[in-house]
Amino acid sequence: MGTMLSLQDVTKIYPGAGNLKAVDELSFDLQEGEICTVVGPSGCGKTTAMKMINRLISITSGKIYIDGENVARLNTIELRRKIGYVIQNIGLFPNMTIGENIAIIPKLLKWNKGRIEEKVLSLLEIVNLPPDMYRDRYPRELSGGQQQRIGVARAMAGDPPIMLMDEPFGAIDPINREHLQNEFLKIQEKVKKTIIFVTHDIDEAIKMGDKICLLKDGHLVQFASPEEMLVNPKNDFVSEFVGGDRTLKRLNLFTVKKAMQKNPPVVLKTETVGAALNRSKELGQECLIAIDKEGGFAGILNCKDTSFSPDVQVKDVMDPVRAWLPSHSSLKDGLSEIFTHDYGFLVVVDDARKVLGWLRTDDIKNTLKG
Amino acid sequence: MIPMPVTIFFQLFRKILPVAATIGFVCWIYSSYGAWAYTFENKAEFFKLIGEHLVLVIISMTAAIGVGVTLGTIMTRRGMEKSASVIMAVVNVWQSVPSLGVIALAYGILPVLGMSGIGMVPALIALFFHAVSPIVRNTYAGIDGVSNDVIEAATGMGLTKRQILFQIELPNALPVIMGGIRTSSAIIVGTAPLAFLIGGGGLGFWIFTGIALVDMGIMTAGAVPVALLAMAIDYLLGLLEKTIVSKGILQDDYDLAV
Repeated sequence: MGTMLSLQDVTKIYPGAGNLKAVDELSFDLQEGEICTVVGPSGCGKTTAMKMINRLISITSGKIYIDGENVARLNTIELRRKIGYVIQNIGLFPNMTIGENIAIIPKLLKWNKGRIEEKVLSLLEIVNLPPDMYRDRYPRELSGGQQQRIGVARAMAGDPPIMLMDEPFGAIDPINREHLQNEFLKIQEKVKKTIIFVTHDIDEAIKMGDKICLLKDGHLVQFASPEEMLVNPKNDFVSEFVGGDRTLKRLNLFTVKKAMQKNPPVVLKTETVGAALNRSKELGQECLIAIDKEGGFAGILNCKDTSFSPDVQVKDVMDPVRAWLPSHSSLKDGLSEIFTHDYGFLVVVDDARKVLGWLRTDDIKNTLKG
Repeated sequence: MIPMPVTIFFQLFRKILPVAATIGFVCWIYSSYGAWAYTFENKAEFFKLIGEHLVLVIISMTAAIGVGVTLGTIMTRRGMEKSASVIMAVVNVWQSVPSLGVIALAYGILPVLGMSGIGMVPALIALFFHAVSPIVRNTYAGIDGVSNDVIEAATGMGLTKRQILFQIELPNALPVIMGGIRTSSAIIVGTAPLAFLIGGGGLGFWIFTGIALVDMGIMTAGAVPVALLAMAIDYLLGLLEKTIVSKGILQDDYDLAV
C-alpha cells in the first residue's frame, strides 16, 4: 500500500477578473485503495481540483503525481486512459450498445477480443446487470440508475488504478442513490481502486470516504478521515459544514457489532422461570434473553413481571421475538430500532440468528465517547 | 404481441397501399397519354436524356454531400464559432432563393466570372449550390446537438478529438445529417429538369418541349421518369438511413416508403 495519488501545492488561477484562485495550493496524499471524497460549498473548486488530475483543466502551478509519475509529463490521452472517469450526467454514448460502451477503452487500448469480451461480462456482473439481458441494449432503454451503473462499469473497463467521480449519484433519486452508494462500496471492497469522489453532500462524503477533503474558496480547510472530521472539526466552518448533528452522523460510521456488549444475560428457553428469576437477580438485570440449545434467539423474558408461576418453562411465558439487529447494520439503524421497541436494548444476532450480544443506549454513548 | 394478420392489415393500409396507389396512378397517366409509345419510338434519345439527368443528380448530390458534411463539421470545431454564424446566415439566405432563380443566377453570374453560362457545368454548379445548404445546416445542427455530457465523458476517458468526431459525434448526428441529405435530394431532383433551360440537358428537355407543344404525351414521357426517380432516390436514402443509423438513436420510422 503506497501513495497512489499525490497533490503538491496545486493551484489554478483563471486569468481575468482579479486572477481569482479557483484552487489555492492544495496538497494531500492518497493511499492506494482509498476513496477520498472532495466536498465543499458550490464554487469551492472541488470539480476544478479533480479535473486537473486528468488534465481536463490545466494546472497553473504545483504538481500532481500518480504512482510516482508527474502527470504533466505524461501524454494527455494515455494519462486519461489510465484514469476512470464518471460524471454526474453519465454521458453514455447513445449510438453504442451497453456492451460497446463498456468496451470502448479496452478497444482503444488494443486488448484482444477475448479479453474485452471477458471484461465486459465480468463488469456487467459486478454492477448487477445480467449480461444476457443488458449487453445488447441501448442506453436510452435503461433507467437513470442503471445507466450510472454502466457509467461506473465503463470507467473501470480499462483497469485504471485511479478513478475520478464527479457527483456520480447526484442526479439519481434519493432511494436509488442510497442503493447505488451501498452497491458501489461493495464493488470497491472487491476492486480496491483509488478514487477521488466529488460531492456537495456532506452525508455522502462521510459515507463514501476513507478520507474527506473539505474545500472552501479553493483552500483546503481540513483533510481527515470522516471520524476525525466529525470528532475534531478543525474550525467553525468545518463544524458548521458537517452540521449540528455531527455526533449523530458518527453513528453511521460504526456497526452494531462494534458497539454491542458480548456475553448478554441469557437463559435457556427450557429452564424454569424460578431459575431464571434467580439468575436475573444475580445479574441485576430486569430482562433475560431466552435462547435455544444452539444459541439461537428465542425470546425475551421480562423478570419484573411477578405473575409468572416459578414452575413453568421460560418458553411458555417469554415475549416472542419481535425485533433484532443484524450485526453488520449501522449504529444509526440500531439506535432507531432501540427507540422503536420498549426494552431499552436490542439483541444482536448473526446471519444465522444466533445471539452475539446486546446493544443498549449506554453502549452507544460509550462508543461515541471513544 | 399484436397478431400477425392485424399487423399485415395495418402495414397494408399504412405503407403498401398508398405507395402502390401512387405508382399505379403515375403509370396510368404514363400509358394513357401515349408517353410510353413516344418513349419507345425515341429509345435512343430517352437513354441519352435519362443518362444526362442521372449525371446531373448524382454528381451534384455527391458534391453537395461531400462539401456540406465537411463544411458543417468544420463549423463545429473549436474556434469556429464566429465563422459558423456567418456561414449559417449565408446558407439560410441562399436556401430561400427559388430553384428557377438559382438556375437563372448561374446563367447570369458565371459569364461574369469568365465561364460559360450555358451547358451542363453551370447546371451542375447551380444544383450543387442549391442543394448544399440543408446539408451544411443539418450537419452543423446535428453535431452541435450531441450532448455535452457525452463529449465530456469521451474526452475525460481519453478519446482523441478524431475518435470523438468519428465514433461519437458523427454517428450521433447521423439522423439529422441524413434528414438534410434527403431534403437536398428532393431539391436536386426537383430542380434538375430546369437545367434544360440553360442547356444542361436531362429529362427537362421532354417536359418543356411537351409544354411548348401542348403535347401531354411528350411532357409525361419526361415528367413520369423524373417522378419515379425522385421516389426511388428517397426510398434508397431511407433504406440507407435505416442501415447506417444506430438503433440506439433511431427515433421513429416516420418514413412511409420504407
